[in-house]
Amino acid sequence: MQPLRVLLIGAGTMGGVHADAYASMPEHAVLAGVIDESPERGRTLAERFGVSFYTALEEVPTDAFDVVDVCVPTPFHKEAVTKAAALSKDIICEKPLAPSVAEAEDMIQTCETYGVKLCVGHVVRFFPQYTAAKQMIASGKIGEVAVVNMFRGGPFPTAWQDWYNRRDYSGGVLLDLMIHDFDFLRSTFGEVDRVFAQEIPERDHLSYATATLRFKSGVIANLTGSWAHDKFHTSFEFAGSQGIIDDNTLKAASLTVHRNAREAGGAQGVSVPLTPTFENPYFKELRHFIEVFRDGIEPIVTAHDGLEAVRISTACMASALEGRPVKL
Amino acid sequence: MRIGIMSTAHMHAHAYLDGLKKVNGVELVGVYDDQVSRGRTVANQHGVPFFDDAESMLKTCDAAIVCSENANHKRDVLRAAAAKVHILCEKPIATRAEDAAEMVRACQGNHVHLFMAMPVRCVASIRALRNVVQSGDLGEVVAMRGTNHGYMPGGWFVDKTLSGGGAVMDHTVHVADIMRWIAGSEVAQVYAEVDERIHHKGIDDCGILSIRFENGVFATLDPSWSRTDAYPTWGDVTLEVVGTRGTAAVDAFAQHINVYSTLDGKGTQHFYGDNMDDYLVREFLRALNGEPVLLATGIDGLRALEVASAAYQSAHEKQAVKLARASV
Repeated sequence: MQPLRVLLIGAGTMGGVHADAYASMPEHAVLAGVIDESPERGRTLAERFGVSFYTALEEVPTDAFDVVDVCVPTPFHKEAVTKAAALSKDIICEKPLAPSVAEAEDMIQTCETYGVKLCVGHVVRFFPQYTAAKQMIASGKIGEVAVVNMFRGGPFPTAWQDWYNRRDYSGGVLLDLMIHDFDFLRSTFGEVDRVFAQEIPERDHLSYATATLRFKSGVIANLTGSWAHDKFHTSFEFAGSQGIIDDNTLKAASLTVHRNAREAGGAQGVSVPLTPTFENPYFKELRHFIEVFRDGIEPIVTAHDGLEAVRISTACMASALEGRPVKL
Repeated sequence: MRIGIMSTAHMHAHAYLDGLKKVNGVELVGVYDDQVSRGRTVANQHGVPFFDDAESMLKTCDAAIVCSENANHKRDVLRAAAAKVHILCEKPIATRAEDAAEMVRACQGNHVHLFMAMPVRCVASIRALRNVVQSGDLGEVVAMRGTNHGYMPGGWFVDKTLSGGGAVMDHTVHVADIMRWIAGSEVAQVYAEVDERIHHKGIDDCGILSIRFENGVFATLDPSWSRTDAYPTWGDVTLEVVGTRGTAAVDAFAQHINVYSTLDGKGTQHFYGDNMDDYLVREFLRALNGEPVLLATGIDGLRALEVASAAYQSAHEKQAVKLARASV
């Protein structure tokens, strides 16, 4: 089987992660080019992988790539996906699929109209502790799940033009960060009936929110998302009638490297916890998406899942704004 | 100082008897219980007199510790107040806010102290957390996240006529009180999801509270009886405070050794930290001596109960509930 040629739109943080992943799966995919509105950033990434750099999709010869991978900030997803669909290319789009349900629906409709596949980057479905917990729950290990607590957070992220600091661009933690856990929980417990969320009103470089989800199945989930914490980490606890499953990535680092104070130039020593594995979740996710396009296998996460995750996020944002529960 | 125990319905009666014995200048007058055989057993275990009549015991007491079932706190506190006896009352203060208000007024009218047996106020890490917040190191407090997980205690705790409710009634008030204390603000609104999903005892055993304070701070609280038989410990008390300049988190029972014994059949946690009940008793005695203390008062108990009551109302109505605070 031939590797699919991937055109990457967006050479920021996620673009770099995706490019690294493709470089590790030569029999599945090969990076065919990089598009970025910043020549400085785009060219650097393109040169690292020995591919061409473009400032716009219109510049790329249409027979030079098979797949478009959209890694630009959320407000620009729709434009990129629409153009790629019109070129009859299968599409990978980072999460959140869109900043609103309406845009997400349009994007899905557009892809259906052009007969192209759309995969949304809900990578937590490929994180091993989440898949293991989900399997255990499905097997009945902890009985009937009653209440779930989840945390995802770390320091305020730095990125292109500080776009996370614009609520109208990033949607804050409720859209950009907690959507990972909304999607994962929906994949595990089914559809959400109602949400109640609380969030810090828009503030400079600070975002923190809580969301309570009640699923139609009866499960209650309490999620916290933060860009106000120290080390980025995630944790979960599933409590059911027959037991509890929990995890905290702070305690799961398999390798810790410490430079002592003198080596670190007199400052307090730096500890770097790492969790090296041979295959990281982004690699697994993108390889899976390539197989969906090339081999026609069923996707683990669909565009519809991406839409429903946006629906939960935006319901939470409305709930937090209005101070009342929102029914989905 | 002559101290009596009113009722041994709550297992903490043992802890208070033990604690009182460690303090000089305390005369343990005895134990009263309306359930004679239950009370006599406890009295004998501790080598103190048993009274089957409350007034006879109260006549010879300066203070009493009320350890009856939640619904009976009012009966016992009113009797002690009428006998001009100072009171330390188990939590929750009562099962209904109007009863709690009546208790507070009765103690005010009889000029006796009414303190709450809320020992989390006497945990060193919690006091240190409050100091950190008050020092301004965290900046402006924006949010809090708390848990007081537990196991299903059975007995009268699952009889609503005696307990007033299940997990939400049992495990909201400790952390709600600490949150009020640290936020320095009253609770304005509560939204709760509450359910019976774990133990099937006909009473609520799980839930998630979303709390908003008058000063804009918001919090979540998990009071679930979610610790089932395989779990290594009875539960926890955790509280995280998020500020504009930093975060701080307490795990009140982190100081434990892990014991993996084939004799137990499962791993267990053995707590080696301070005995908070001892510190509670000592601080109550200092209060009786006229010294300033940081204990929760009857009014604090009322306010914490109002949060639990609002949670039940919210869950029933599926709406956020604005608190109506009883005036005392």
